Amino acid sequence: MNFKGTLPTLILEALAHGPSHGYRIAQRIKERSEGVLDFKEGTLYPALHKLESDGLVESYEGLEKGRPRRYYRITATGRKTLAKDRDEWREISRAVTIILGEA
Amino acid sequence: MTALDQWLKAATRGLAADSARRVRTEIQAHYDSARETAIGRGLSAEEADRSAVKDLGDPKAANRQYRKVLLTTAEGRMLGQSNREARAFCANAWMKSTLLAIPATALLVSSALFLRGEFAVAGALFAGGLAIGMGFIAPFFPVYTPARSRMLRRVKWALMAGALLLAFGPDALKWSWLLVSCLWIVGWIEWKRASIRRKLPVARWPKQLYL
Repeated sequence: MNFKGTLPTLILEALAHGPSHGYRIAQRIKERSEGVLDFKEGTLYPALHKLESDGLVESYEGLEKGRPRRYYRITATGRKTLAKDRDEWREISRAVTIILGEA
Repeated sequence: MTALDQWLKAATRGLAADSARRVRTEIQAHYDSARETAIGRGLSAEEADRSAVKDLGDPKAANRQYRKVLLTTAEGRMLGQSNREARAFCANAWMKSTLLAIPATALLVSSALFLRGEFAVAGALFAGGLAIGMGFIAPFFPVYTPARSRMLRRVKWALMAGALLLAFGPDALKWSWLLVSCLWIVGWIEWKRASIRRKLPVARWPKQLYL
């Protein structure tokens, strides 16, 4: 399903539960959407880098099974943005549901 | 060359060395995890390789997105050059004094010419001194926050436009072809610097990026 534009919000949501690396973030989004939101994983990292340059997430080097990995964690600004995005999404979702006559 | 190497080559095309290194490290770790998971699901090593690369998607599309958020070769080179120039000037007290003396001298001479009634030359010299002085004096002001830096750049552009108007007077429009052909490089550099500012987190901005 095309969910262009919502990937940054989904990443923030995945990180709201704790620091994580790219692969785990991708798996979390796919699992939680029960496979509906499928995306090419190569596009996840540019979105993560953009969130980092906007100050919504920060990254640090860590180790997993002895291998170096870059971990990401949400910042205070990122949490505020996520809360705002959630509210906006609820509004949009409610409006679309009304228009489609499924309310 | 493996399928992953080919993917990485296409995805990092045109990226600065540091950006490309970061992409390679992250994608390699991602690929290793995806491959392990696929093997855990019962796929053979070859199938797991193919599946892990396929899940990464189109490398050209990834490259287009990486170029929007990571420094490109040209931007990395520009940042490196300006870092070297800034260090060279700041490390040399004699050079710093000379750079400050040039606009000061231009402003003093323009005042003298103005008093002697040579308004045209005085105006051009004053404009030049003002424009050069703005560039050289700005680093000595406390401008090293994003908001102050934005303000400084607005003042800088306004002063530059004012200086050109002062230097060329009513003929500014007539000489616009000359101005554009001489100053397009300034616009291009400023555009590149704006792109670097967008891509680098503020915490990693070198001092000259604030100017």
